[in-house]
Amino acid sequence: MLNKINDAKEKFLQNIEKVDSAKLLEELRIKFLSRNGIVSMLFEEFKSVPSQEKRAIGQGLNALRQELQAKYEALKTRIESKGKASAPEIDLTLPGRAPAQGTAHLITQTMNEIISIFKKIGFSVITGPEIESDRNNFGALNFPEDHPARDMQDTFFINRDFLLRTHTSPVQVRIMESQEPPVRAIMPGRVYRNEAINSRSYCMFHQIEGLFVDENVTFAELKGTLVHFAKEFYGNNVKYKFRPSYFPFTEPSAEMDITCFICGGKGCRVCKHSGWLEILGCGMVDPNVFTSVGYDPEEITGYAFGMGIERIAMLKHDIKDIRLLFENDVRFLKQF
Amino acid sequence: MKIVLSWLNEFIDLSDISVETITNDLTMAGLEVESVTDYRKMFENFIAAEVVQKEKHPNADKLSVCKVNTGSEILQIVCGAPNVAAGQKVALACEGATVPDTDFVIKKTKLRGELSQGMICSEAELGLSNDHSGIMVLPEGTVAGKPLAEVIGYNDVVFEIGITPNRPDALSHIGVARDLSALYSRPLKKKEITVARSPEKIEDVAAVEIIDKDNCPRYSAVVVRNVTIGESPVWMKNRLKMAGMRPINNIVDITNYIMLELGQPLHAFDLDNLAGKKIIVDRATEGLKFTTLDSVERKLKSSVLMIKDGEKDVAIAGVMGGENSEVVPATKNILIESAYFNATSVRRSARYFGLSTEASYRFERGTNHEGTLYAALRAAELMAEYAGGEVLSGELDIVSPKLELKTTELRFSRIARILGYEIKSEWVLTILKNLGMNIKSADEEKALVEIPGFRPDIEREIDLIEEVARINGYNSIPSVDRVTSPLKSAVDEMELQNKIRNTLIGYGFNEIMNNSLQAEDVSRVFAEPVAVMNPLNAEMSVLRTSLIPGGLATVAHNLHNGEKNLRIFETGHIISKVGDQIKSFDNISEQIAACLTISGKVSEKTWSSEEREFDFHDLKGYLNSLFESTMDINVLRYSYHNEERGIWQYSGEIFAGDHLLCTFGQVKDSYLQKFDIKQVVFSAEIFVNCIKRNLDKVKKYSPVLKYPKIVRDMAFVFDSGVKYGDIADYIRKNSSPLLKSVSLFDRYENPKTLGDGKISLAFTLEFYDNERTLTEEEVEREFSGLINKITKNFNAVLRGN
Repeated sequence: MLNKINDAKEKFLQNIEKVDSAKLLEELRIKFLSRNGIVSMLFEEFKSVPSQEKRAIGQGLNALRQELQAKYEALKTRIESKGKASAPEIDLTLPGRAPAQGTAHLITQTMNEIISIFKKIGFSVITGPEIESDRNNFGALNFPEDHPARDMQDTFFINRDFLLRTHTSPVQVRIMESQEPPVRAIMPGRVYRNEAINSRSYCMFHQIEGLFVDENVTFAELKGTLVHFAKEFYGNNVKYKFRPSYFPFTEPSAEMDITCFICGGKGCRVCKHSGWLEILGCGMVDPNVFTSVGYDPEEITGYAFGMGIERIAMLKHDIKDIRLLFENDVRFLKQF
Repeated sequence: MKIVLSWLNEFIDLSDISVETITNDLTMAGLEVESVTDYRKMFENFIAAEVVQKEKHPNADKLSVCKVNTGSEILQIVCGAPNVAAGQKVALACEGATVPDTDFVIKKTKLRGELSQGMICSEAELGLSNDHSGIMVLPEGTVAGKPLAEVIGYNDVVFEIGITPNRPDALSHIGVARDLSALYSRPLKKKEITVARSPEKIEDVAAVEIIDKDNCPRYSAVVVRNVTIGESPVWMKNRLKMAGMRPINNIVDITNYIMLELGQPLHAFDLDNLAGKKIIVDRATEGLKFTTLDSVERKLKSSVLMIKDGEKDVAIAGVMGGENSEVVPATKNILIESAYFNATSVRRSARYFGLSTEASYRFERGTNHEGTLYAALRAAELMAEYAGGEVLSGELDIVSPKLELKTTELRFSRIARILGYEIKSEWVLTILKNLGMNIKSADEEKALVEIPGFRPDIEREIDLIEEVARINGYNSIPSVDRVTSPLKSAVDEMELQNKIRNTLIGYGFNEIMNNSLQAEDVSRVFAEPVAVMNPLNAEMSVLRTSLIPGGLATVAHNLHNGEKNLRIFETGHIISKVGDQIKSFDNISEQIAACLTISGKVSEKTWSSEEREFDFHDLKGYLNSLFESTMDINVLRYSYHNEERGIWQYSGEIFAGDHLLCTFGQVKDSYLQKFDIKQVVFSAEIFVNCIKRNLDKVKKYSPVLKYPKIVRDMAFVFDSGVKYGDIADYIRKNSSPLLKSVSLFDRYENPKTLGDGKISLAFTLEFYDNERTLTEEEVEREFSGLINKITKNFNAVLRGN
């Protein structure tokens, strides 16, 4: 009887070797494990085994059934999963169903990139209206009436007292008039200049203004902050310089130049062969501005800076015609 | 402002400093050098040469073959100019020379078979004038072989400097030299007046009277007699040309030359044309006509300051002289005007006449009231030398007692407070002295500084600090990366706009940006627009009252380019007028809006999707989701209009409480026609300020389903006029709190199966209770109750039963 058990096991092991499909597997099951299979037949025979041998043979039979059943199940799982993986029903190379992907305007992207750099170092984001009073846009910012400084910014007028803001600087006036120092904010927004539209100029564009006012703010901090910005935005290796300039609302005033990232400072058409690109204007808030907003210039000092977004975006993305930014051709918009 | 190096060298010795260094140092001191023209380099390989022989070209009628002596060899040059002749001294471009303003390099070549070893140049080819009628012929005595730059007096460098409006002093050679003098700590040289004076006194031949002393605080005049009008010397003409001015005659050239040298505009009157030999400075007579030097007749107004003689107007003060007293070839006697006019007065005159001249440009920025007489005498001296005149003794010089020099206190501690680093006080004082300031007194803490007349921009301590900072160099200011300031939480007023933007981008919208200036007819439909007084053109005459026209313009632009399926949005300011006139900010409504525009297909035919056009419900769906993600939607109320309204064919409105939050709909054809759009467009405008966002409100957890929900479907056939919204509202109002949601799962119209004028709507209702498991019986009761009510109230028939 024990020999028969061993024979059955060996036979099973020989047979299972050749099983590689569901069909052969089923044949194997019928032959060994079905109601009329070899294992059942052996249990049938077991009934007539003398009682003193029953214990040993019973154990052998149970072990055989467990082993064969386990091997059969393992093979069944393998064959079924293999069958699934190789199923020819699904063409996995078909294109995916992608949701439509929108885009932020390039000016928004550039603006938000700049804003986030300053937000991280504690600047608030404050906005103001596009129609401004002559006083907020010019007078309070130390542009005297009938002064050639006003020629620097060709203005769209609404009437004698109101105009389209020519820069975001009037938001400085609004913030300082509405709160006590310290003030630490950037002011993004749209500004207007009465300039003919061509590839290099448009009648409106966007600026980001910055302001930090407190009791002991110095030019050295202005430099530190803007150098931090330039490194974050243009990379750690950027070289920079500050050179004197003139804005009525700051004194001393400066322009910040960085090494031309197009030619790496060797000189090219874009940087007019100077190796430098002008990226922003800045300076220490003029005492007259503090006086007009009701701060005491003896007690309070501060710095301000401003940059044009279109210029920065155009340089960075090699766009040579500013009109592309406002034509809204979706083939252009989807590129960014 | 074009500054000539050799001219600068007359005021400060720069002979050992390279052009590159000067360029960089000027820029870093605030006088930004925009370009440098080095004529020495430009004329490298250009020399003076002598034509020794000229023969006709054997193969070309208009060409000659010349033998040219370069001083060291004889070259053969083929020349096309009609005026070339043997014996002439000419400008020769040798091999390797680059023709100015081009990339053309001269090479040995054959022209129609004849060797040509260079080019004989015209003035135009050299970039000296527009004359290309023939070659440039150099003076007789010119030595062959000499560098051309030297021969023609262009052995020089010109710096083009962008002068900011605060630096009128730098609109002159002496002003630029003064900055260099401070930068290099080198002395500024002054030119002394040494001209001999004729015994005759000026008082005997001329007189000056100032009536408007406020607008003319100083008037200096000098008379030069018996001048001979002719050409200026070559060196002077060259300098004027290099500085960008056209030589006219010796007298006019000298006035211009002194202006470029000292920054003081001068005017030369023909003394014999001044009636009564008299100058009167006074306001114009309203309405009189006056013809200026440019032969334009101009109408005067009484606020304009004029120069008059005993009878008539002779010049617009500070702007331009008149034809009636102009220097002409026959002029013998000159009165030189060197005045100090009020900057604002000149600016207003120049603007009134729309006439900006070299003189008005300088006067309106502020000239040097201390220097008028010196400038007149310098001009007189040159007229004596180069026009053979005699300078009468004495001068007419009327000075208002109000003209005083300003003094300002400078506290040394304040420099560090502003700049963030210390500068030694001795060095501060040296810089100021080198800039021409007069230190009246100084101690350890402060100095009293007298500001010279040529620096009208300096009035306050901060102005002096800037002078010190720029001369000491901004590079020497440290860059501090530490900030000490009280903690204060930062706010972000753009947050909501960004949230809306990012949400829409997530829905596949492309952000656009349009010009805020629009045509009036497309804007007026929405609100009363604010007009610009001085628009660029009629298409851009008002500020946008809505973002929708911009969206439509974008649709039109893209349709034109073949892009027909669009899902675009914009956020920005919309502006309208409140009341009749803009007197204060209350008369301006300026608010943030967001505009969604969709047109064309929402989906294309693909292997797994059917083609479908955008419709009203796509737009409504975007709006629903957008509001859900940005605000508390429980406050929203919708209303719908099937009829035409404003720009809409049909439309909807969304209110938040009482505030209109959004209007949306299909844009009607007649409005689309203005944009030449022939495709259906849906648009929505959201008034962002009305979005009440409870940023601080913390959302509390509400338990997810603990007990099973029971779902029931029901379908009815209605008369087709019925509105889904009405039935859904009815269901909500007429059921117990156990009903948690109603949704529409099918909508079906088919005359064959339902009959004419009928529609089938099928609803899914979900019931549950957070506290317990509902029984089938109670739901069934609720459900069948609803069915009965709907059937009765809406004349409906339950389907499927």
